[in-house]
Amino acid sequence: MSAFRIKGRGLVNAARPVNFTFDGARYQGLEGDTVASALLANGVHLMGRGFKYHRPRGVVTAGSEEPNALIGTSRGPGQFEPNTRATMQEIYSGLSTESQNKWPSLKFDLGAINDRLYMLFSAGFYYKTFMWPKSFWDKVYEPFIRRAAGLGKSPTEVDPDHYASRYLHCDVLIVGSGPSGLAAALTAARGGASVVVVDEHAELGGTLLSEPSVNIGGHTAWNWLSSKLAELAGLPNVRLMARTTAIGYYHQNMVGLCQKLTDHISNVPADVPRERLWRVRAGQVILAQGAIERPMVFDGNDRPGVMMAGAAQTFLHRFGVKVGDLPMILTSHDSAWHTAFDLFDAGCKVAAIVDTRSDIAPELMQQAKKRKIETLTGHTATATTGRLRVTSIRVNPVRNGSVGPARKISCDSVLMCGGWTPSLHLFSHTKGSLDWDAKAKAYLPGHKTEAVHIAGAGRGLWGIAAALKDGAQAGADALRDLGRKNVLASYVVTDDRTGTGITQKELPTDRSPGSAKAFVDFQNDVTAKDIRLAVREGMRSIEHVKRYTTNGMATDQGKLSNMNGLTIASDALGKEIPQVGLTTFRPPYTPTSFGALAGYHKGSHFEVTRKTPIDSWAVEQGAVFEPVALWRRAWYFPKSGEDMHAAVARECRATRHSLGIFDASTLGKIEVSGPDAVEFMNRMYTNPWAKLAPGKCRYGLLLGEDGFIRDDGVIGRMRDDLFHVTTTTGGAARVLNMMEDYLQTEWPDLKVWLTSTTEEWSTIAINGPNARKLLAPLVEGQDMSDAVFPHMSVAECTVAGFPSRLFRISFTGELGFEVNVPARYGRALWEKLMVAGQAYGVCPYGTETMHVLRAEKGYIIIGQDTDGTVTPEDAGIGWAIGKAKPDFVGKRSLARPDIIAKGRKQLVGLLTEDPKHVLVEGAQIVLDPKQPKPMKMIGHVTSSYWSEALGRSIAMALVEGGFERIGDTLHVPTADGGSQAAKVTGSVFYDPAGDRLKVE
Amino acid sequence: MNARVKLFDAVAVTVLPPVARLNLRLRPADIATASKAFGLRLPIKIAQGATINGRAAYCLGPDEWLLHANESEQAVIVAAFNELREKTPHSLTVISDREITIAIIGPRAAELLSVACSLDLSRMAVGTAKRTLFDTAQVVLIRDGADAFRIEVWRSFFPQVRELLDIATRELASGF
Repeated sequence: MSAFRIKGRGLVNAARPVNFTFDGARYQGLEGDTVASALLANGVHLMGRGFKYHRPRGVVTAGSEEPNALIGTSRGPGQFEPNTRATMQEIYSGLSTESQNKWPSLKFDLGAINDRLYMLFSAGFYYKTFMWPKSFWDKVYEPFIRRAAGLGKSPTEVDPDHYASRYLHCDVLIVGSGPSGLAAALTAARGGASVVVVDEHAELGGTLLSEPSVNIGGHTAWNWLSSKLAELAGLPNVRLMARTTAIGYYHQNMVGLCQKLTDHISNVPADVPRERLWRVRAGQVILAQGAIERPMVFDGNDRPGVMMAGAAQTFLHRFGVKVGDLPMILTSHDSAWHTAFDLFDAGCKVAAIVDTRSDIAPELMQQAKKRKIETLTGHTATATTGRLRVTSIRVNPVRNGSVGPARKISCDSVLMCGGWTPSLHLFSHTKGSLDWDAKAKAYLPGHKTEAVHIAGAGRGLWGIAAALKDGAQAGADALRDLGRKNVLASYVVTDDRTGTGITQKELPTDRSPGSAKAFVDFQNDVTAKDIRLAVREGMRSIEHVKRYTTNGMATDQGKLSNMNGLTIASDALGKEIPQVGLTTFRPPYTPTSFGALAGYHKGSHFEVTRKTPIDSWAVEQGAVFEPVALWRRAWYFPKSGEDMHAAVARECRATRHSLGIFDASTLGKIEVSGPDAVEFMNRMYTNPWAKLAPGKCRYGLLLGEDGFIRDDGVIGRMRDDLFHVTTTTGGAARVLNMMEDYLQTEWPDLKVWLTSTTEEWSTIAINGPNARKLLAPLVEGQDMSDAVFPHMSVAECTVAGFPSRLFRISFTGELGFEVNVPARYGRALWEKLMVAGQAYGVCPYGTETMHVLRAEKGYIIIGQDTDGTVTPEDAGIGWAIGKAKPDFVGKRSLARPDIIAKGRKQLVGLLTEDPKHVLVEGAQIVLDPKQPKPMKMIGHVTSSYWSEALGRSIAMALVEGGFERIGDTLHVPTADGGSQAAKVTGSVFYDPAGDRLKVE
Repeated sequence: MNARVKLFDAVAVTVLPPVARLNLRLRPADIATASKAFGLRLPIKIAQGATINGRAAYCLGPDEWLLHANESEQAVIVAAFNELREKTPHSLTVISDREITIAIIGPRAAELLSVACSLDLSRMAVGTAKRTLFDTAQVVLIRDGADAFRIEVWRSFFPQVRELLDIATRELASGF
């Protein structure tokens, strides 16, 4: 049995010792312990070093609000986690933990020099210190700040753990399983509602775990607790979730929960997730989160051994651990008196109870007297001593506002209670208003924006009886709001320890307040002096004070510090607290792992990669892929020894000389069907469609209302009332949405319907002078001759026995066809074409070759040669506008003054002076490379390739007044500091007459 | 391996063979005519489904139905609607190959779906269908029984959905 463990107390399992390590040393705790309780049982209070001053720090709380005892935990390779709260981490056999922010050791930390230099680290020191000289920023200041910004080491290895997600729907979600939460759950569950109860701790019960002496309905608290938990667990409509934190409260009663599944287990089986993120949609939410105890602010209040009285009570009752042999109590609330009594009754010698109040309930005084505990009322604390652990506290009487002579009290722990702050973080997430209650000196829930009820200490109530009653009422209210009947349970509570207290600013002192290290925010090392300095330096709003001092900005979000900081700031400003404001709490309630938020989206499941039916063939052939929107597409097909340039040059040559085959399945496809289809097409696209006969197709151009190019593609008319529209790969969903938007909001009268068929079809493009020779023998049901099936035709027929929509179109400038077959046949057709194509040296090509071939022809790529500010005229495709049409989307904008103004950026070709030089896409273009910097840039390169067909480089560019500069020489600065001269040309580089399309 | 066997009693994920799948769009006034052509009274409430003689129709939107039939009947159905086209304007689009269908069957089927389906499945009636999201993929979710669902997902999203169902199945089997 460890030195500070009290036999027969606590919920820990004395029969199950558990070994773990802290900073390399082996410790033994018991099953059910947290790291904090186990270390305390071994007499260890020192668990970390302060963030800024590296002062020794001990555990302060017993819960998730812990600001000091932040440790690194290692569960295995890649399973290191920094900043784990020692008060929440359960121990298990083999757990390895370490303290943080110390070097060379926790007990001797050189960084503690900062404590001597504390005057340099006052509020706003970042803003003041790092201003000058400017040249110091990159090399000195930023690296320093980065090193100092944030506690703990980031993990460096890939996290091997699994993380899971679930959706959950329930009638009533109850956050907190203390007396109010449980009473709410019992009422709601007995009323037949589906109920979920969550609690961040491993044990359900909340305050009841720390108050075993209370009697409820004739049962001890713990007997009552276990019987009620058993009742709830036995109900099919109830789900009890321990180790589960409600991290965020979002719109329409969506609450995010993070459930820890395995951080308390030695041997985790395969496939078990470490954490599970629940997205709960609740009909009613009941927040029963209790209250958080406020520290006292005085010099030396951060020394190890100084902690919250309520935490000591929890360590005593829940874990059977006394936090010291000689505790002293420093309080302004009755609750800490009971802690003193409980510790005394457990065998501790209580050094004294020091209360800042003068009027104490006689009953408490009597109880203290009975135990012969010295009481000092109307006193303040002004200092503590002890290097790594508190050894004494200095207290002084306060009479009529003046601080009297000091007295030193020896102790090994200081248990403080500066009142209680209702925990309303989640309520704050909903943007519900928090109203200042002047009597309770607390912010309490005001106007609600969600179907939420707050019960118990969360709305300022005190005592088990009040909490039970309020919880039962909240459960009944929730049932009422759900339209259900309820029976309101009542609870008879005896031995309840009700009480009152006050809250205050930093404690008065007889010493210089300016040199007091009276901490408000333990995690960010903010003192009362810092807050007063911020006010002196002009900060008026608490939001400014917070950012200037960093008070409440650590990962604990100021659970302990916010109200103390606000009280001190309001005192410094001479204003009432509500006039100074309140900072906003934001999700997550407590630090949450990235893994939990990412869920299943990691490794191979990180993000969807859409693949075509022919993708598997490309993989087998060793294709190199590139991402295009959510798809991956074969980029090029290198043969052994080929680099990208060689492969692309070969693919280009083969296609221009004989036959290339290309997987175009990713192109978006939309079926536009109905008697008004042609009218709809006329309104959506710039082109005229009325005279396009069935069996023919046409290049279609889509603008936005602003007149700028949005998308393009070839569109075939299958029947009078049916169009097969193709879109760009990335534009498929966007174009369908845009069409639906117009159809549903502007033209609901049109009898036309849209269906995405992108994935119904697998599309194979065949290009090259031998394209028809390959296809014709395989086609049934369509005369393939040039006379019957000329360029820009479409037909339904069979290809290699597969039902098909066959287009004669070309995106290469060569004789070209696109075969669409039902997706399941895509690969089979491809393989048949590859076999049949051997006679012509058929060459599979990828997107890079496709890009080169189209650029040689001056065909644009939406999003590459256009950027959302390019009109059809700018792009040189004004011919695609149906001039006679009364209207189409974007038509009016094309007449706007700035659209028809001269000097707009226009798409032109560029031929570099050095034919071997391939310009960089995105490179800027200038008139005179010798002009002083910054140079006037008149455009940029949009597409640039090596053209195998032309034996030289080609490029396209958007250039101001580009059409009028044809023949001019422009300059493109290069990365090496030089520049490349290039002549402006038209953008069709190859076969400008289009003869190659017309192969007989 | 015991857990694995037990798991397959709890929920089984299987890929179903292809069906004739069609997207029907028409004005509500023409429902009766279309019902006749399809040989099944088209449901009129969104999410409702109707099944008869191996044919099924699910109302997915105010003017949208998902039709299912045996593959061998696809051509007949297309022809029947083709007859209507003149007098009853509509759109019938074959999407048999657009989607792949996954069956999720077993006492823990709904729980398995809850890993990535945000719907309250306890409120989804047997025989209904909804277009919804599964993880980040658009799907049509069909409920065939208390413990039986189908997911129809676009072909290129299928591997992602299938992978997640496999991961989640192993997770359920782990007992945590």
